[in-house]
Amino acid sequence: MSLLEIKNLHASVAGKEILKGVNLTLEPGEVHAIMGPNGTGKSTLSNVIAGREGYEVTKGGVLLDGKDILAMEPDERARAGIFLAFQYPVEIPGVTTSAFLKTALNAKRRAEGKSEIDAMEFMKLVKKKTEALGMPYDMIKRALNVGFSGGEKKRAEVLQMTMLEPRVAILDETDSGLDIDALRVVSEGVNSLRAPDRAFLVITHYQRLLDYIVPDHVHVLANGRIAASGGKELALELEAEGYAKYLNAAA
Amino acid sequence: MKPSLLTDHPFGADYAKRLGVPAWNGALPGPKVEEWRFTPLRALTKVSFTPATGVGFDTLPRNIPMIAGAARLVLVNGAYRKTLSTVDLGKGVEVTHGKVAAKEGSSLIALNAAYAPESLVIHVTAKVKKLIHIISIGASGAEPAALHPRITVTAESGAEITLVESHVGLPGQTYFSNPVTSITVGAGATVRRYVSVDEDSAAFHLATSLVKVAGGGTFEAFHLGLGGALVRQEIRVALTGENANVRLNGAYALDGTSHHDFTTLMDHAFPNCTSSQVFKGVVDGESHGVYQGRIHVARDAQKTDARQVHKALFLARGPAIDCKPELEIYADDVQCAHGAATGEIDENQLFYLRSRGIDDATARGLLIEGFLADAMAEIHHEGMRELFTADVTRWLKARRT
Repeated sequence: MSLLEIKNLHASVAGKEILKGVNLTLEPGEVHAIMGPNGTGKSTLSNVIAGREGYEVTKGGVLLDGKDILAMEPDERARAGIFLAFQYPVEIPGVTTSAFLKTALNAKRRAEGKSEIDAMEFMKLVKKKTEALGMPYDMIKRALNVGFSGGEKKRAEVLQMTMLEPRVAILDETDSGLDIDALRVVSEGVNSLRAPDRAFLVITHYQRLLDYIVPDHVHVLANGRIAASGGKELALELEAEGYAKYLNAAA
Repeated sequence: MKPSLLTDHPFGADYAKRLGVPAWNGALPGPKVEEWRFTPLRALTKVSFTPATGVGFDTLPRNIPMIAGAARLVLVNGAYRKTLSTVDLGKGVEVTHGKVAAKEGSSLIALNAAYAPESLVIHVTAKVKKLIHIISIGASGAEPAALHPRITVTAESGAEITLVESHVGLPGQTYFSNPVTSITVGAGATVRRYVSVDEDSAAFHLATSLVKVAGGGTFEAFHLGLGGALVRQEIRVALTGENANVRLNGAYALDGTSHHDFTTLMDHAFPNCTSSQVFKGVVDGESHGVYQGRIHVARDAQKTDARQVHKALFLARGPAIDCKPELEIYADDVQCAHGAATGEIDENQLFYLRSRGIDDATARGLLIEGFLADAMAEIHHEGMRELFTADVTRWLKARRT
């Protein structure tokens, strides 16, 4: 069974159709990249999968392990294994990163029928994960994302991902606002999570990120549809030639 | 403006005569008195109260909050109960109780003076390590009771004390608590005061605090408002010497039809003093929150730094918030600021938390605690910060079930 199947997905925002029949299948262990110009529905696709309000699915479905997730609440989807790394991680004043991580981790553990993590075990786990991402441990005492630099926010997203160990991770323009060092660290974090039972959907505007997170498949999203698919060489071609021919072909 | 008479209120001369207690010829402030505009007392005047008599219990009821390691002073219906209190408080603090002289100031203070059995008098002469926990319990008999706790605190120069006040009641009873607390902070002295009003849902609570802070003195207070039908915490602070420092903060969490009013007056009469106020509240159901903060800076009070902020978070469409900041500044070299904001839970923040597997109710709880966190951070006493935070968490849990 495919891990994630997006079938003929149509979605509208405020009555305007943005996705016009997206078809995409992620097998376990695969990394798919979605590229495309601004305003073609890349972020809509990730938000629809994660379950954000304000997106109306008019046709089609999204299946995780063969089960349609579109009727599920966003937190149910997350506990089922969907993770969205935000393009713009949200600042949560007054809530420490640590309290947040613990709450999220325990929500997942409860859903899996496990007991809550004890304080020592949690500390050890966070220490290990933050070290691997080159983050100071003290960062988890700060309010979540508040006053974090662009790079720190993206690292914090990857930290959450490595702690929650999702089945399907969607990276929405994770490379935006990152310098080359931060890009490398974030990519290493993502690569360390690559596993035979996990799939990634990497949404990006630029080929640069794909030098670090090497995809198995590359898709071009244009005018609300997958306009072309290929291997990693497609990303290089797009970088050299741009999106013009897909936009024209689809129009 | 002259207070209007609420003529049929139960505290007038006739009522006093009937009960055989000293006459009180004042009147409760009516709705036309500006300071009481947002807190009408009609509901209070509809209940016929009798003066509270000592309700006999020899051990503290189970719902009474305790603080481990603190010295306890218990007032039942306003009267000091030695048998329920800690007698030995250690060095540097002396507790007595006795009749207090009537005091002008407001009709509520006059009412308290007329009916208060006696005042609890706390005299502080040195640095006191132990927390002093004052528990005021409202306990009606068969009839709704009115109680008038009176607390007088004097910290001599250089002395230091941390006071906690818990205002609670026996469950399921209608009572009216009218506490008056006078605090004098001597030169260079420090008084920390943490007040929790968690009265029963049918109870009335109209508290007046009169605070004087001498030169170089520090007064830090936090007022938590949780339970009660109609609650007002009026805090008047006078900075009566140079380099006095006041931090007056609070938080509230209301539901049902609960009404909580925080009214503050910060009176800067001397130069080089600072005062800051942070009040934050969350309102649910059809509750009503009020914050009125007046800062008065006299002509001579140069180099004053006075700030206040009030923020409220709506958890439903039903509640109401009234906020009235007033700055009266007669000195020209001062720093004064006030801010006010109300809002709802941010949908982006909520989605972000939920996208990590946290269910809707838990996510909202985190955001509410996060909203109150910077007010709670103003509690410098770590143990009390944890206790009050736990009280808010308990409120959140109860709200969910």
